[in-house]
Amino acid sequence: MRIRGFFLFRRYYLFIFIILLLLFALILISLRAKQGEGVEFFDALLLETCSPFQKGATFIIKTVQEIFQQYIFLIHLEEENRRLKQKLLELQEENHQLNEVRLENERLRKLLQFNEKNAFTMMGAEVIGHDPSSWFKSITIDKGERDGVRKGMAVVSPEGVIGQILKTSPHYSTVLLITDYNSAIDSIVQRTRAKAIIEGKGENRCQLKYLLRTEEVAEGDVVVTSGLAGNFPKGLKIGEVSKVDKRGHGVFQYAELVPSVDLNRLEEVFIIMKTLPPILIQDEKKEKEIQKCSGPIYFF
Amino acid sequence: MVIFLLTLQSTLISLYPIQKVRPDLLFIMTFYLAFLFRPILGGILAFLLGYLVDLFSGNPFGFYTLSRPLIFFAGQFFKERFYLEGFPFQFLFSFLFSLLEGILILILMKTFQAFPHGDHSFRLILTLSPQSFFTGLATPPLFILFQRVITIWDPNPEKGVMEGMGS
Repeated sequence: MRIRGFFLFRRYYLFIFIILLLLFALILISLRAKQGEGVEFFDALLLETCSPFQKGATFIIKTVQEIFQQYIFLIHLEEENRRLKQKLLELQEENHQLNEVRLENERLRKLLQFNEKNAFTMMGAEVIGHDPSSWFKSITIDKGERDGVRKGMAVVSPEGVIGQILKTSPHYSTVLLITDYNSAIDSIVQRTRAKAIIEGKGENRCQLKYLLRTEEVAEGDVVVTSGLAGNFPKGLKIGEVSKVDKRGHGVFQYAELVPSVDLNRLEEVFIIMKTLPPILIQDEKKEKEIQKCSGPIYFF
Repeated sequence: MVIFLLTLQSTLISLYPIQKVRPDLLFIMTFYLAFLFRPILGGILAFLLGYLVDLFSGNPFGFYTLSRPLIFFAGQFFKERFYLEGFPFQFLFSFLFSLLEGILILILMKTFQAFPHGDHSFRLILTLSPQSFFTGLATPPLFILFQRVITIWDPNPEKGVMEGMGS
């Protein structure tokens, strides 16, 4: 009987192996559906093993790009230099005006006894890889748990919001971009203060969901974070409205948004580490003046 | 080779897509494994390849860990039944298998409700065809490249290892 069983096993061992392998894959899907319970260790281990190769490849690509930019694409340098000087003058003038407005704003705030807006500390990180699949939108960065990065933290750039931390390992993390179908951020339209949820729509596009039909929103309107989601501080630029459609039926109107950041050309990003209460901001600013921006921490 | 392709896929090819579409090098590698390796070792390698793709993507569930071994075993099943040598056949099979994998992932996404904010199936199907087409186009040259690498690595492969490739 035992011998017969052995021969049966030998006959069907391949079939059994295929079933077991696929069953194991299904168990992994099920574990991941439960917030990655049980697979986090293997994820972190493989992320740590493969990311250094990505980092190396990104470094080589960047170096080659820089060589091209520095030595080959110098044809229009003089013209560009003139244009940048002109732009600098314009920005200096604008900066002066904005300083005036800021001082006026501070005076008015004191008069009205408003609470000072919360600030936050950020850490810079380098993008070392993009999503290998075409359907999902994510990037890999060279900062992980050892640097204080945690799941759900907001990731931004000077141009605006990028996404949030999805997976972490000791030295690397994966960021879910705002254009991914699984991404959703609470937002408001800057001009009209209309509330909406920004959801990913794939290739460099998002949709404003639950935007009431009664709200007046136009193409070119800037959309910022509402600060209600918790991870994203209030007032960060997400993008501009690119399409509005009220022709359909229902309570809500259709609107599309183009992110202010070109997510296909990301090189460096900032992770928002913590939001500081107003009382600590002054202390941190003093500390910043002492350090003169030497560390990786930046302040808004 | 696997890590090299993963690095290439997630760096250079992601930075310079052709009309926002990128050929899936790791899919082609999985497809090639079906012709090169025996079922158990190849199956485990395909599983690991899928796991790596899931790890570096924004995919929260890990669908490629399931789909890549399936592609491998499907390739194993067909390799002795169909003529798979030459550009047109390799292109056609890779294109069809890539399409099938896309449809499988869509079904899995719907089953596991991976679209928490509405159904995007139609939009994904529209990107699926050009994606599969480019993957199909990249398959024959990459098959030649893989074969060259394998020949350098092991000039006298075991009998049966390269079966199906006409070697």
